[in-house]
Amino acid sequence: MIEIIGATKVFHQKMALDSVSLSINPGQVFGLIGPNGAGKTTLIRLLNQIIYPTKGQIRIANISLNEAHVRSFGYLPEERGLYREMRVLEHLIFLGQLRGMAKNEAKEASSLWLEKFEISDWKYRKISSLSKGMAQKVQFIGTVLHNPDIIILDEPLSGFDPLNVDLIINEVRNLKAEDKTVIYSTHNMNSVDELCDEVALLNHGRVVAHDSVMKLRWAYKSGNFKVRFQGSKVSFAHGLWTWFEMLSCKELNDGVFEAEIKSRGAYQINHVFERLSEAVQLQKVEEQLPGMHDVFIKLVKDEK
Amino acid sequence: MKNSLLLAFREFKERMSSRSFRAMLFVGPILIVGLIYLLMESGNQGVRSMKVLIADPANLMDRKIVSNPTEAVTYYFYDDYIELEPFKQSPKFQEFDALIEVNEKVLINKKVFLFYKNTPSVALKMKLKFDLERRIEEVMIAQFTSLSEQDFRRIKQPLNVDFRNVDDPYNQFNNELAWVGYSLGYMMMFFIGIFGTNITRSINREKSNRISEIILASVRPQQLMMGKIVGNWLASMIQLLIWIAIVGLGLFFLKELIIPDYFTSHYMQGMQISGNQMKELGLGAAMEHNEQVNLIYNRINYGFLLPNFILFFIGTYWVFASLFTIFGAMGSDISDGQQFAVPIWLLLGLSVFSGYNAAAFPDSGFTQFFTYFPWTSGMVAMVKISMGVTVSEYLMLLFAFCLQMIIGSFLVGFAGRIFKNGILSFDHKSSWSLFFRWLKRE
Repeated sequence: MIEIIGATKVFHQKMALDSVSLSINPGQVFGLIGPNGAGKTTLIRLLNQIIYPTKGQIRIANISLNEAHVRSFGYLPEERGLYREMRVLEHLIFLGQLRGMAKNEAKEASSLWLEKFEISDWKYRKISSLSKGMAQKVQFIGTVLHNPDIIILDEPLSGFDPLNVDLIINEVRNLKAEDKTVIYSTHNMNSVDELCDEVALLNHGRVVAHDSVMKLRWAYKSGNFKVRFQGSKVSFAHGLWTWFEMLSCKELNDGVFEAEIKSRGAYQINHVFERLSEAVQLQKVEEQLPGMHDVFIKLVKDEK
Repeated sequence: MKNSLLLAFREFKERMSSRSFRAMLFVGPILIVGLIYLLMESGNQGVRSMKVLIADPANLMDRKIVSNPTEAVTYYFYDDYIELEPFKQSPKFQEFDALIEVNEKVLINKKVFLFYKNTPSVALKMKLKFDLERRIEEVMIAQFTSLSEQDFRRIKQPLNVDFRNVDDPYNQFNNELAWVGYSLGYMMMFFIGIFGTNITRSINREKSNRISEIILASVRPQQLMMGKIVGNWLASMIQLLIWIAIVGLGLFFLKELIIPDYFTSHYMQGMQISGNQMKELGLGAAMEHNEQVNLIYNRINYGFLLPNFILFFIGTYWVFASLFTIFGAMGSDISDGQQFAVPIWLLLGLSVFSGYNAAAFPDSGFTQFFTYFPWTSGMVAMVKISMGVTVSEYLMLLFAFCLQMIIGSFLVGFAGRIFKNGILSFDHKSSWSLFFRWLKRE
């Protein structure tokens, strides 16, 4: 388990992190979200000992964070670059060796990853000749090459086209399946929905929310339901009574409709059944949870 | 350590893969050899072989002049006077390049005129002078003494007044050799200047291409700095060794194939003539020229000088490289914060001055100070070693070398701290306040 206990970082009298405490379980994909300047990258740099906390501490499996821990991490920083004059395979071997791999081992692993990312034709080309997307793939490979147990990804999707976004998301999913711990900082909320078990939302250097994705989505649900029914649209509308408001309704096929309704109070899914089961034949009722995108906006707005 | 070597090797490969670097590996020393050849040739322009007609109406020379004729000069004898105009105009004398007039008074006034059509080279002048002098000497010995030639020549040797320092009665400290050391030291500074700038640029690049965070998550900043220094050092050593090898080979080929004239017996014997005589003959330039040749090929103790050159090159490079590393860690790009480079260039200048000072005033207080000051001690060591040192003096130079290594190590530590503290500042303007802020331990 990674424990961040009261981590505070002050840069020239500006509080970048204010008593941040978090715990990250092994095998989780842990999302770090927050607006720009919230302190996500500062926290990640503390984890990598690029900078040190002004106060507080970080512990990994009950041991204070040390150089050996940091060397074992996979780290993809937000500000990332490569040596432009090196060749792709040579560069990956170099990064692998820096992380303690033997040369042959690094070469073998690099070749596998390059194959996987479909850029093995480029392995003897100079980094300077790669497109931005390709270079980012190489950076990602460099991060996971040494098979780390803890992987820290700071904005891994920025600059990727949708196809490559899917590729990276898929790889993070694979890492999760392999029981790796992934700390995942991003502005891409769809990927948070898809990947993260838990998230912490940082704003102004403080943790505003920290919970599992599902709990947060439940906590910020807005009382919207999707209902599929067979019967009369008028009967359906009458059945809503004053408890629910119809937002939309469309006919799927002969007499089968799909409607979106919104609760006008604290009415729950059982109240949907209560009101509508006699009016129409219900086929499916689904509570619409907000995505992390909405949760994020709501949380940040609430903060303001 | 393993990671430092990895970083060093990467740096080294990057340097070696640079086309301009590879080109300079060979072009530089070839230019040096070319320059040496030009310097030697500049003193040896003119005609290199001659047909010389000796007008000897009194037959003093008995129609002979040298026992070992060479291709460079062929002598012919003429038993009458020759005026200059006929010599120039008459078809009879057209084949001759020079006329030597040996009249009866030569044994008294010891004056001979040589009239040439085209100026002879220095080597040829030396040969002509040597041949004539030997022959006239033989004639004089036969006419005026009952001595053998050997005895006469022994008596003829001028009194040699040798000025020596009371502390150096055996003249172990030789001024000309001091300048050899100075030249080597100067070369050291030249390489340090070039490669130091490379270190700075390389560290700047590390920051500007944003890879430093990835690297620093794997290695300590001091290891990164070490890698930069060692990688550039390896490249500079390769360059230096290739330069030494090519210049060495070049000098060898110059000696053996292109300018062998300088090493023939008459040329070397010509050098035994006293300075005043040479000047009287108008051969002052040739005299200096001979000394240079003699110095380069005969007097320098390369076996002792070169290993020490490499040793003190390491120490001096280390102590300067640590400063260039600090400079690189401070700046966001090479053009930023040039004011930080000024002290380093001043130190390089001071080092050059210290070498001059040690060669000109080896016993002065300044020289004593410069011997132990880490940024000048390498230069002074080169001068002192080339002049010749006692065992105790050599041990003191080794002590100065150790000081260089210790001071350099501290400075590399500071550079690492500055680099790490400043790693998140991209595109900043360097300032002294930033320097002191980043120097503090976080």
